[in-house]
Amino acid sequence: MSITIEARNVHKSYQDADRKVKVLQGINLATEAGELVAIVGPSGSGKSTLLHLLGALDTVDRGEIMIGGQALADLGRRQLAKFRNRTIGFVFQFHRLLPDFDALENVMMPGRIAGHDPVRVAQRARQLLLEVGLEERLDHFPSQLSGGERQRVAICRALLMEPPLLLADEPTGNLDPVAADQVFELLINLQQRHGTTAVLVTHNPALASRCGRILRLEKGVLYAESYGPNP
Amino acid sequence: MRQLPSWQMKLPLPSLLALRYLRSGRRDAYVSLLSLLATGGITLGVSALILVLSGLSGLQDFLRSDVLSRTPHLEIEVPEGVDSSTLCDAFKGIIGVVDAQRILRGRGWLLFSGGAISVQVVGFEGQLPRSFPVREDSFADSSGAESDVDAGAGLYLGDALARRWAVSIGDKVDLVSPRPTLTPFGPQPRAQALPLAGVFRTGRTEDNEQRVAVPLATARRLFGHHGSRIEIKTNSLDTALQVAESVAAVLPAGGRVRTWQELNRALFFALKLEKVLMFIAVFLIVPVAAMSLVTVLALLISSKRGEIGMLQAMGASAGEIRRAFLVLGGLLGTVGLVLGGTLGVGTAWMLDRYQLISPPGDVYFLSHIPFLIEGGDLAAIFLATIILIASSTLFAARRAAALGPVEALRN
Repeated sequence: MSITIEARNVHKSYQDADRKVKVLQGINLATEAGELVAIVGPSGSGKSTLLHLLGALDTVDRGEIMIGGQALADLGRRQLAKFRNRTIGFVFQFHRLLPDFDALENVMMPGRIAGHDPVRVAQRARQLLLEVGLEERLDHFPSQLSGGERQRVAICRALLMEPPLLLADEPTGNLDPVAADQVFELLINLQQRHGTTAVLVTHNPALASRCGRILRLEKGVLYAESYGPNP
Repeated sequence: MRQLPSWQMKLPLPSLLALRYLRSGRRDAYVSLLSLLATGGITLGVSALILVLSGLSGLQDFLRSDVLSRTPHLEIEVPEGVDSSTLCDAFKGIIGVVDAQRILRGRGWLLFSGGAISVQVVGFEGQLPRSFPVREDSFADSSGAESDVDAGAGLYLGDALARRWAVSIGDKVDLVSPRPTLTPFGPQPRAQALPLAGVFRTGRTEDNEQRVAVPLATARRLFGHHGSRIEIKTNSLDTALQVAESVAAVLPAGGRVRTWQELNRALFFALKLEKVLMFIAVFLIVPVAAMSLVTVLALLISSKRGEIGMLQAMGASAGEIRRAFLVLGGLLGTVGLVLGGTLGVGTAWMLDRYQLISPPGDVYFLSHIPFLIEGGDLAAIFLATIILIASSTLFAARRAAALGPVEALRN
């Protein structure tokens, strides 16, 4: 299941002490359903801010974002929470697993938030963990897992609800090259298998080149850089 | 391989998060210590409140019973010039009235062996009034022999004064009235030497030292008819309140009916005020503990910021985050409340059952401090504590819910 993204003339700024910092200045972005887009750019260029806006975690100052034809500005706080739960899967640089829950419970969490039957949610979570080779790690807590394993659990969690949109912010940024490669491979594999639209923010040009399209964000403006092997 | 999720995963999300955060808090020594202080503080506050209020209730109940046992159910001020004897008979005919007794109040001086003291004199007809509980041994003199003083002609003293003056049954004591008798030689004080007929003892030092009782005829001779009253005894305290109106209807103009409530209004108000003030003073422990609860929650919220952000990214609503911390605070507070309630009620019951606190019998009028656990007190303590726990928890929980996902994820 996939979905389109459309961002029109998006502006975002922050107040830093008595100074207003313009982070995004008129971003325009449109993706096809099922597309894998990489956003690259130097630190502080606003990549994470753009991802937060696309993920309905933050609101734009100006402009409009539509996910699957739904304008985010039309949704209230509670509706946005529900929209994130059903529509978007997040993977962050620091896995962001809940330390008080084991691997299976972490993956189950979006299903529990949605109020689904715990037994069925557990079945689905187990199946995903099986797919990423963590069947022996179900009752391990994040502190008992390696960096790569934690990120694999985080990917499973992002995919539990079978969201049509996957947003990943430096998903391999905290891993060694071998683990990073494995996790990235897994991410692309799952994205393609599930037909999910994905936006990936990365510093790593090698990983970005394996995405369908690469966009460069510089000084708050988004430029088309190139099309990768999977346009 | 694990087949089923743990039972906790079947709980509603806020309860599930609260239980896990409680477990994670236990692993952090600082959070653990603060949680212990908060829960312990609530336990201490609640148990102290129950102990203090039940002790106070026990003492007040004893005092109230003692005072009421010595207070007439109704006291009638007879107007000047009205025959109190006829009036007394009329009152006895009212349904609910058990007995009516004529008395007279006045002030005079008591003289004995060079000593003098100002006293309140109560003249009575028939038996001694309820307010003069006669000691069983008071009719025996120091040698143990029975007194031959006519009980209807002598004077009754409080045991404290009798002991201080070393007066024995049969000894003559002079009672002087401030109303003089006019003679050809000018005004002369009215005085009468009266034999000691008995000794009474009440719980009040003032009564034991400054009140005497004499037969009505003697009192009238010394004080005239001014201050004439009728004391009425009814079936019960409640009946007295109902009968008061019928009595007032019979009473001629200028008279006044006062119920046992009116006679002791100041005392009952003081007792109530004492209890309210003690409640407020001891209850101050609980807000301090509730502040610790806010600190614990604030600390947990601070350490869980990133997790709160991730939960919001996954679709958890602000309401669910708020409820999670409400349940957490509620759990800590409830443990303190239940422990405090059990400790307080248990200790009060033991102190009362086994009479563990015994004040010196020669100083106090009590053999032991009674503890009375009243449902109303418990309800007030529990309700006030629950309100305080809920409001302080809500304060902290709202801060957690107010965190935006981006703000929380920046952690």
